Amino acid sequence: MYSEKVSSLLARKGIKIGDRIRLNARGSMFEGRLMPRPDAGSGDVIIIKLDNGYNVGIGMEGDAPVAIDKLQDSVITTSFSNASASRSAKNIAANSAKVELLYTGGTIGSKVDYVTGGVYMLTKPEELMYEVPELGSIASINVRHLMSVASEDISYREWQAIARNVADAFNCGARGVVITHGTDTMHYTSAALSFMLKDLKGPVVITGAQRSSDRGSSDGFMNLICSVHFAARGTIPEVGICMHGDTSDEYCNFIRGTKARKMHTSRRDAFRPVNSTPLARIGTDGSIAYSNDVTVQNNAKDIKDMKTTAKEAFEPKVALVKAHPDSDPDIIRYYSGKGYRGIIIEGTGLGHAPVSTPHKEYNWLENIKQAAGSGVVIGITSQCLYGRVDSSVYRNARLMADAGAVYCEDMLPEVAYVKLGFLLGNYGSEEAAKLLPVNIAGEITKRSEVDWFV
Amino acid sequence: MSDAHDYAALGFKCGLEIHQRLATMEKLFCSCSAALPEDAHVIDITRRQRAVAGETGMLDASTSFESRRGRLFTYELFRRSTCLVDIDEEPPHPLNHEALGIALKIAASLNAKVPDELEVMRKEVVDGSDPSSFQRSILCGYSGSIAIGEKRIGIPSIFLEEESSGIEPKAGDGVRYNVSRLGIPLIEIDTDPVISSPKEAKEVAMQLGLLLRLTGNVQRGIGSIRQDVNVSIKGGARIEIKGFQDLENMDKIIEAEVSRQLALLDIRKELLARHASVGNAVDATGIFLKTGSRLIKQQLERHGIVLAARLTGFKGVIGRSIGDNRRLGSEISDYANGAGVRGILHSDEDLSAYQISMDEAGAVARLLGLNADDAFILISEERGRCERAMQLALQRADAALSGVPEETRAVAPGLFSTRFMRPLPGGSRMYPETDVLPIDARPMLESAFKEKISIEAITAKLYSEIGTPQLAEQMLWSRELQLYTELKLRSGADGRIIAVLLLERFTEMKRKGIDPSSIGRDALLRLLRLYSEKEITRPAMFGILESLPKSGRDVDAELDSRHLRRINGKELKRLVEMQKGHGAEKAFDEIMGVHRLTVDAEELRAMLKTDA
Repeated sequence: MYSEKVSSLLARKGIKIGDRIRLNARGSMFEGRLMPRPDAGSGDVIIIKLDNGYNVGIGMEGDAPVAIDKLQDSVITTSFSNASASRSAKNIAANSAKVELLYTGGTIGSKVDYVTGGVYMLTKPEELMYEVPELGSIASINVRHLMSVASEDISYREWQAIARNVADAFNCGARGVVITHGTDTMHYTSAALSFMLKDLKGPVVITGAQRSSDRGSSDGFMNLICSVHFAARGTIPEVGICMHGDTSDEYCNFIRGTKARKMHTSRRDAFRPVNSTPLARIGTDGSIAYSNDVTVQNNAKDIKDMKTTAKEAFEPKVALVKAHPDSDPDIIRYYSGKGYRGIIIEGTGLGHAPVSTPHKEYNWLENIKQAAGSGVVIGITSQCLYGRVDSSVYRNARLMADAGAVYCEDMLPEVAYVKLGFLLGNYGSEEAAKLLPVNIAGEITKRSEVDWFV
Repeated sequence: MSDAHDYAALGFKCGLEIHQRLATMEKLFCSCSAALPEDAHVIDITRRQRAVAGETGMLDASTSFESRRGRLFTYELFRRSTCLVDIDEEPPHPLNHEALGIALKIAASLNAKVPDELEVMRKEVVDGSDPSSFQRSILCGYSGSIAIGEKRIGIPSIFLEEESSGIEPKAGDGVRYNVSRLGIPLIEIDTDPVISSPKEAKEVAMQLGLLLRLTGNVQRGIGSIRQDVNVSIKGGARIEIKGFQDLENMDKIIEAEVSRQLALLDIRKELLARHASVGNAVDATGIFLKTGSRLIKQQLERHGIVLAARLTGFKGVIGRSIGDNRRLGSEISDYANGAGVRGILHSDEDLSAYQISMDEAGAVARLLGLNADDAFILISEERGRCERAMQLALQRADAALSGVPEETRAVAPGLFSTRFMRPLPGGSRMYPETDVLPIDARPMLESAFKEKISIEAITAKLYSEIGTPQLAEQMLWSRELQLYTELKLRSGADGRIIAVLLLERFTEMKRKGIDPSSIGRDALLRLLRLYSEKEITRPAMFGILESLPKSGRDVDAELDSRHLRRINGKELKRLVEMQKGHGAEKAFDEIMGVHRLTVDAEELRAMLKTDA
């Protein structure tokens, strides 16, 4: 944002962002378009886009004489128009599968807004189709704008809305559903949808982008293409994440929604299956290779009579806490005091928290026992992420299990958190505690295969 | 040499873009080594890229042209010189301040002004040379100038930017880039289009290169400096020529470009007089079902098609020469190449060379309804590619009616001509780099201007230090200038003897097959110190110099083992006294005959003179 001084100067001259201006500063003349001030840097520096496309910043501080004049009103055009949207809509291949594209926001749907200076979410989802016109030849796509939310801002309420819309889409004839989503919490959403959605008629493919779509190298284009391919033809009626399989632009992985995790802050292949293998690999050309252990497939007759439902009740009073050296066990008391009905502990190793320490202030045992005794469901997962927790190997874990903690097998901590919220929303605490270590939506596997590790 | 054209009368306009890699430790936006790696690459990755709208919402002509090619790019990654930033898998780190310091010093040396705040921009490149599909670039200087004799050439802009990847020789289907040099800091200096002749263009390029070398902060060696030339004539169009390997032929290639534009303008005149026009693509596959043409047969076997198009009034014009091994047909063909076809066939060439029969050619002419003045072009390829290629070819043929299209062209290797690369890029390929904060340049300006380089001042200093103008001028342009400056500063020796040693003696050694580059700085420094402290004579210094690469000994060991310590003062006096009675001339010859390398002739002469 420009400083008050600069803003009022611009206002006095009737100059708006985007206008063509002439600026004479300390003997140098600049002509170009007034650009918005990004959040960073001094608000007293005017940014002007020269005719060669470069931006330069001219300081307006001090008493230096600066003359600024408006030459022409803003002529910023946009690459997107309704005409081009209808053109791409016409591009749709006849007789192709119906795919519903639910748009929720995130990097894949974001652009730099050169008028306000910020990154903004696309509000016209058709813009996405305009950017990736080849989608139209893969499937008959119905784009629906659900929300424009950055993924870190997504809550269970958004999961509920998405789940409802997915169910509606299938019941209205969609072959598959693609959800564009921010990547940060994509794996929470995928887990939530995995638990909430019952009797899916086809794949629910969640996708996004690690690099914004205003750059020609964005991973979002390919992720979207592979996702639509899978939604249109994939034979796994499950919720999964479809993103780059490695750093090259060659194929995407379809990872089970309860086994996926974002494992890198910035790489395009950030999503990895944990304690699982990708269910399928999708090439940019639409080729799909299924993993050996995937056999699920609906047949057409079944689908016709099926009705997809969203079991959307969710208990948000569930916490996810991490046990680490010197961690304060009062965190358990804090949450149970606030009426939380469930706590997932991300323990160390096979699922441990400090319970035998001679330093009483760091001993979690008493608090776990108390919370569990008062009906709070305590689930134990591991911060190792890979592998299975076990309460029988070491004494400390046995103490925790005896205190009432539930060991969550090879379930990811975030997935356990989502699952417990889902269970407590739909069942009583006792039932929820019983179901927590039992597989519902692929979140727990009985066998750990050799090549399921990084 | 007299000029091939009257450039003033032609409305010749020419400006340069000089690109020079800076010598920094790290890359511009990450901590990878900025030195080119010597080891092999460790991994390949592939990327697809597409054109996206720029800041103003417009797709750029050049980027959408490239992106339509739909190519897959392969990148070779290196251990020490590639990281996630280079392949657009991690946001850029803050700007390298060493590079910025050098850029501002260069801006100061070109008397340029520096914007108060530097804004990092993304310049879209979809030829694949950058895995991120854009190059980061900063306008860091404006309103500068450089003197060429009496004339001042304006420098409107100086940019600090990332080097692109190096393209690897054709390997298989896709395009392969070496990512090691990507992101090395690069300075781009643009001149005003006021250069008045090809010869002057070469002079300006040389002068800018000299200034950059004089900073001592630029990389040396093949590819470390590149020159792009923008050239146009009245009625023609702006053409950017890339890929000058050296300055040697720059003037001749600019001259050839002027000739090309003149030839295209002549062609335009003739085409307009003939009411020429460009037709549409027509499927001619049926004519070639039983063809003897290997080229077409091969395509048809792969279910390709043959497209033909009428060029009304073009007969004889497609085959007309417009430069060294170039015809209008080569221009049309270059455009079609953009769709990935190998070339086009046209009726101005000998089609029997492609085993196309007279009957087939006649059938095409009938299909298109050709008249006597008309020509046709043919393309055979897989359908999508063929249609796209024909569209591009017809676009170029149509442009012939308007004269010269604006283009980026590349120097054709081994020829005095250029070939089409892509349409000229416009301003809309720029948009802000939102991942890097703007940089306040004002606190850095004072030190940059203090380090400012002046060619005039350095020239004057060399003249006074070295004495002889010819040697001083030679040193100014020499690769050894930096070494000279260092030796001068540290040895206390006379500038002239250093210049003689680095220029004349080094050249002499190379002639004898001795490599002077193996002699270290410290050895040179020791030799010059011994000489200026009168510990050795000049012939002894040169003698030791020549023997160092072979003997591998250090200077003092060489000196002792060959007993080359200089005889002077009292010792020399004793030698002179032993010759008493012989005349001065005889005494001189006697002594020098025995002690040629250890006695300084001038000292001896002076001593004999006072004795006499």
